[in-house]
Amino acid sequence: MNGKENIKQFFGKYGIYLVLVVMVIIMSFLSPVFLSQDNLLNVVRQVSVIGVISLGVTLVIISKGIDLSSGSTLALCAVMAASFGQAGDWAAKMYPSLPELPVIVPILVALGVGTLVGMVNGLLVAKTGIPAFIATLGTYVSVRGLALLYSDGRPVSTLTASYQFIGQGYVFGVPVPVILFFMLALITWVVLNHTKFGKNIYAIGGNIVAAEVSGVNVGRNLVKIYMYAGMLAGVAGLMLSARLNTGQPGMGVAYELDAIAATTIGGTSHSGGIGTIQGAVVGALILGVLNNGLNLLGVSAYWQQIIKGAIIVTAVVIDMRKNAKKK
Amino acid sequence: MKKILLSGAALLVASTMAFAAPVKVGVSIANFDDTFLTYMMDGMKAYAKANPDAVELTFTDAKEDMAKQLDQVENFIVQKMDAIIVVPVDTSATAPMTKNILAKNIKAVYVNRNPGNLPDGAYYVGSEEIVAGRLQMEFLGEKLGGKGNVAILMGKLDNEGALKRTAGNEEVQKNKYPGIKILDKQTGQWQRNEGLAKTEDWLNRFGKDLKAILANNDDMALGAIQALKDKKRTDVIVLGVDATPDALTSVSKGELAATVFQDAAGQGGGGVEVAVKAVKGEKVPKENWIPFKLVTPENLAQFKK
Repeated sequence: MNGKENIKQFFGKYGIYLVLVVMVIIMSFLSPVFLSQDNLLNVVRQVSVIGVISLGVTLVIISKGIDLSSGSTLALCAVMAASFGQAGDWAAKMYPSLPELPVIVPILVALGVGTLVGMVNGLLVAKTGIPAFIATLGTYVSVRGLALLYSDGRPVSTLTASYQFIGQGYVFGVPVPVILFFMLALITWVVLNHTKFGKNIYAIGGNIVAAEVSGVNVGRNLVKIYMYAGMLAGVAGLMLSARLNTGQPGMGVAYELDAIAATTIGGTSHSGGIGTIQGAVVGALILGVLNNGLNLLGVSAYWQQIIKGAIIVTAVVIDMRKNAKKK
Repeated sequence: MKKILLSGAALLVASTMAFAAPVKVGVSIANFDDTFLTYMMDGMKAYAKANPDAVELTFTDAKEDMAKQLDQVENFIVQKMDAIIVVPVDTSATAPMTKNILAKNIKAVYVNRNPGNLPDGAYYVGSEEIVAGRLQMEFLGEKLGGKGNVAILMGKLDNEGALKRTAGNEEVQKNKYPGIKILDKQTGQWQRNEGLAKTEDWLNRFGKDLKAILANNDDMALGAIQALKDKKRTDVIVLGVDATPDALTSVSKGELAATVFQDAAGQGGGGVEVAVKAVKGEKVPKENWIPFKLVTPENLAQFKK
């Protein structure tokens, strides 16, 4: 192995991190406020909701599946959790007779409902054998309908202080959503790298037949994967409603696409079996820096969309070349 | 004389027929997810409830998809509706829709978003979007004493409401308050979280230079207020449009400086009323304006229900 190949390997392995570093360096030259602590915390807080979704989506994509229902699940969990977390003095409560409930109630509602939607996804994929794209396309539509039905199309607003803390609070100067994002990333990383369940996910994505032959219960693991992804979408719904002090049935539209983009930019391959949690985190951060950077530079709203799309595709093209070389 | 009698009789027959069976109205709404449009549907349903024998409403959701809306209108035509109410996804694509509806002798009523071209048998009920933008900037100009920097949170960039309200802001700024500078315009997609994110970035970029934020709707304005709270900034004036219940609460707390009341229920109810009258052959103007009103802490009480 010569030096040139070493460099190539280095870029292949750490290319996506370099993209982030280069973007940060360029931005810090272009905008004097970019590197301020305030702004950096903003960036991470802005991506934390998409980031949490992308953690679950990473597991799904590694297993060679896809989850299109995340945004709808987020909305359903947000309105349902919010309806159990409204402040006592708010006149237009969804359940006027309900007393102010401790924050654990909306938390459990969000996690429970998210997990339930994920279970439906998982069962559809595992038991009926229809492609994940179709199964989750179905829930993507129906679950948004459920969110509208449950809330009667109205925002569920004015939440208790402890609920709002989940989205607006700080612990030692760090925003709570940021802490949640990194904590969940760590947990998911452990799940993926240091548990049997994690190994099974890679095995199923790499070669489903081989996995089955070697004794992996594919069906049960698939259900678990989608349940985990649904639960994280629920957490995201909790975070977003807490941040905005409202749960709205129209929330999170197209968030699944942002999460898939973050995961894909982070090097998770849609052909299955390849992908990392740290990649998803970096992918989410790249999207965040991009959004924030374009705003700080005052790029016109029309151009922002064009540039974003181009960068997403470019990042993936670079990454695919890397994977192609590996094979 | 005979002729007059005959036409009188025909009119009588027509009107008794109209009274006998309720007027069937198909309604295609641009997007059920939109909070404002939900309140508008409330207005339509309230009218139907108050006049139970006069009208029968059928609602469909176009999900911001022009093609879907066209299909829904075609279905209504096949179902032989007496009138079709459309909150268009895209006003520039309404001409073929209008033509198809009128060809079958059905009345077309557009609500909230004005298609502009209204042949005989087609009507519009709504508010003049540009007025909302003017009201915002008039209020702000006075509040700032004609000097200061402002940023504008626009709605979806292909929506008439976003473009016209922003144009109203700019028109008054240019003609009346040249001392006010517009620092930036960005889209918050009508959404609270997007309004929040854009404002966070603006606060870092402009710092103390930013004196006001004009938002095309209340949800984005409430997002901006959230960002200001995080930064403990109380010196930035924020204005919205719509006067949603959340926004009115915010005005009463002194956070949102003012909002513009767009009468959602009035537009919805007005739309159904125009449809019913047109079907019954009563004379209705082509364009029916429901006025915008500025809501400030002083006149808040009359808007709170």
